[in-house]
Amino acid sequence: MASSAPADDTHFIAYKGSFRLFGLTLDDCIRVFFGGNAVVSIIVLALITYFLFREGSGFFGQNRDNLTVYRHAGLEYVDFIRTQQDDHAALTRYLSDLRVRQFTHYTMEKGLSLAQANAALASFDDFAGQYGDTVEPIRTLVSDLTEQATAIKEKFTVMEDKKVERTQLLAAGKEAEAAAVRIVPIDFVVELKPILGTLPAYREASAEFAKRLTAVLADAPAMPARELQTRMERFQQLNAEYMAGFPAVTRNLETWDYNKPVPVTQAFSSFLFGRQWLTASFWQDWYGVIPLVVGSIMVSLVALIIAVPLGVGSAIYINQIATPLEQKFIKPCIEFISAIPSVVLGFFGIAVLGQALRALSQVSWLSWVPGFPYSERLNILTAGCLLALIAVPTIFTLAEDALNNVPRAFKEASFALGATRLQTIIRIIVPASLSGIISAVLLGLGRVIGETMVVLLCAGNRIAIPDFTAGLAVITQPVHTMTGIIAQEMGEVVHGSIHYRALFVVGMLLFFLSLAINYAAQRIVRRYRISIG
Amino acid sequence: MSAAATHPFQPQPSAARRSESAIFWLFRGATYFVLLCGAVVFLNIFVKGSRTVFQTQAPFVNTAFFTESPESLYVFQWQGQKMELGDKEFRAFKEKNPAAANVKAESYVYCAGGIFPCIVGTVLLVVGSMAIALTLGVSAAVYLNEYARDGTFIRFVRLAILNLAGVPSIVFGLFGFGMFVIFFGWNVSLLAGWFTLAFMVLPVVITASEESLKAVPKGFREGSLALGATKWQTIYKNVVPYALPGILTSSILGIARVAGETAPIMFTAAYVVRDKLPWQVDHFSDFFFQGVMALPYHIYVVSSKIPQNEYTERVQYGTAFVFLFIVALIATASIVLRSKLRNRYKW
Repeated sequence: MASSAPADDTHFIAYKGSFRLFGLTLDDCIRVFFGGNAVVSIIVLALITYFLFREGSGFFGQNRDNLTVYRHAGLEYVDFIRTQQDDHAALTRYLSDLRVRQFTHYTMEKGLSLAQANAALASFDDFAGQYGDTVEPIRTLVSDLTEQATAIKEKFTVMEDKKVERTQLLAAGKEAEAAAVRIVPIDFVVELKPILGTLPAYREASAEFAKRLTAVLADAPAMPARELQTRMERFQQLNAEYMAGFPAVTRNLETWDYNKPVPVTQAFSSFLFGRQWLTASFWQDWYGVIPLVVGSIMVSLVALIIAVPLGVGSAIYINQIATPLEQKFIKPCIEFISAIPSVVLGFFGIAVLGQALRALSQVSWLSWVPGFPYSERLNILTAGCLLALIAVPTIFTLAEDALNNVPRAFKEASFALGATRLQTIIRIIVPASLSGIISAVLLGLGRVIGETMVVLLCAGNRIAIPDFTAGLAVITQPVHTMTGIIAQEMGEVVHGSIHYRALFVVGMLLFFLSLAINYAAQRIVRRYRISIG
Repeated sequence: MSAAATHPFQPQPSAARRSESAIFWLFRGATYFVLLCGAVVFLNIFVKGSRTVFQTQAPFVNTAFFTESPESLYVFQWQGQKMELGDKEFRAFKEKNPAAANVKAESYVYCAGGIFPCIVGTVLLVVGSMAIALTLGVSAAVYLNEYARDGTFIRFVRLAILNLAGVPSIVFGLFGFGMFVIFFGWNVSLLAGWFTLAFMVLPVVITASEESLKAVPKGFREGSLALGATKWQTIYKNVVPYALPGILTSSILGIARVAGETAPIMFTAAYVVRDKLPWQVDHFSDFFFQGVMALPYHIYVVSSKIPQNEYTERVQYGTAFVFLFIVALIATASIVLRSKLRNRYKW
């Protein structure tokens, strides 16, 4: 009787999964739902990559077209001569710098009044004026050629627009209107003839220029001091080098061929290694990312130089030296600092820090600091200081974690051997956690490179490679950064234009840079971890 | 009794000891220098901002600043007096005094009125994006902690989370612009901003949730399973409720991040100026497809996009004050709640 009862009583049999969806039980469905959510992070990462590529990949084709037009319309040809003119302008700037130095020499060291100093400089001014005028034949030529080349480019752009118009009309099915759009293909050979015809004129102008230069340089005035005299000699030498480059320019012009195809690689290299980011220009747009990359790196470097000692130092302090009370108070405070929104910090930089640092730079007993005094309120230094405040909490938190993970036994063993606290910290604790500290620094770098608002507001936003000849004073120059340029120009560009796509490519660069930094940080943690325990 | 303090093991003053203490002071100095910098930023904004936000007469708070939209400020001379009036007041003033109709007034954009639409916009952005991020993040964490077994797939997921955490916010902005604004055609809208911000804080939420789930002892699950509960019942009744306070408090830090970011909403959700408030829409669905003003973007606009003058400082510092106050409040709440929670749950 007892043995037959369980077989009849179906109440005790558990029915697992009476509910089925696509053959899955309820629990399976729930599992799939949660699993799906876990995949979201992979999907998002993939989507970011996809959409950056989708919007950005067209850039390289467009850039190649852009460069082709640059060549076809003869802009490249004119730029050979223009470079010559620009180099001359750079030399003129050297002269004016020399004048300033002489002026200070006269007023400061010889004690002359302003009027006397100016009088003493009269012959030099005369020389500088003559030197500036020597370029005249070239300048006239360039301005003529500029107009012609721009006209050709303009014509070409109009034709391109018409082509687009026609395809649009055709797509809309308006064939009659499409046929009415007249497209005259541009014969570059004919168009370029007047430009190329100026070659003899150029040869003449160049020879005249060289002759005048030599004549002017022959009677350069003597300098009042030895230091200035060496500068003058340097100037003469620069001029000699400059003039030695003239035949190369002529050769470039002679061998120039408008029909030489622009290689595909140049579309990439002119972006990755281009030294100019110039948009909405009447002449030629350049999308070279180097000034932006250099700007980003300089700003991050300054930030890290400030933030690493502070962040790691305070992590060591809190973890090893501080009293429990200090620990309890300071850790949340630093976390609090990390919560300050970057736009507020940027605003603080504009409103307070920029002026404060500039005022500091003008204090006379600090004038030995390279770059001090400076006049640009917003520059690498200002942005770097603020970014340091952003990086410190990141570095602090991660480095403190790394220090925390060092087993107590290490410390105790060290003390037992008679080491002092400092020796223990420097020889035992820090080396044992070095991998963690380095990855903390790297993640801090990632944070700083990706930071937008602070650099947008405080880095000065001048798109140019800073002048590294200034030595350390380079940190007082304004720059523009990769993040900053996206934030600043994205709102103003035409959707689908080359400029728009260029910004996406910059974003792509940033994305991969951040992935690389992240990867490096993880690698270092895994690879150089001292086996603990 | 100085003699009593001396014993054979008492540290002797030496050069090594002196240099040690000097180096310790260096470390201490670094720490307090960081705190000082933070304090300077806070104090500067709180002191200068409080001039805009507070006032000397009752109700002591500048209510107009919190309840009105940004307006242009008009400054003019009237009967020997310098008048500073906002746009609406200026018009009312002109109607009241017909003689003032042609008065020459200098206008300063955004320098009068308040920041009510910005506060509303920020709150909407935070609420929406956190709702999305918490749903996705907590579910993902539940999977990672409760269901998943170690394997290639899980390694990939963890790698993706780790890398997502390092992607610059401006790249999220670009992505949101490319996907939601352009590809989905949502234009500059709340919805686009929500998703962009949600994806940005996702790693923070997942990590925080996983940690809280991990803190729930294994015995809770085993006990439940032993009583015959299914996996889902176990998670639903015996794991998530105990982890939830931890999840929420840790996610508050994510809220601070969402509220504080400017770059991702610049092209996805934020307007420089908008007259209508978010609920003034014709259709219910329009609510999701409208851009909003937001506090961080407003700070950016007033501090760099408009001409600077003596009147802009008021609105700049006022906005920065309110914004920093909100973010600081959120951060404090998270820190305090977390330390409380740590003391309460001991398994």
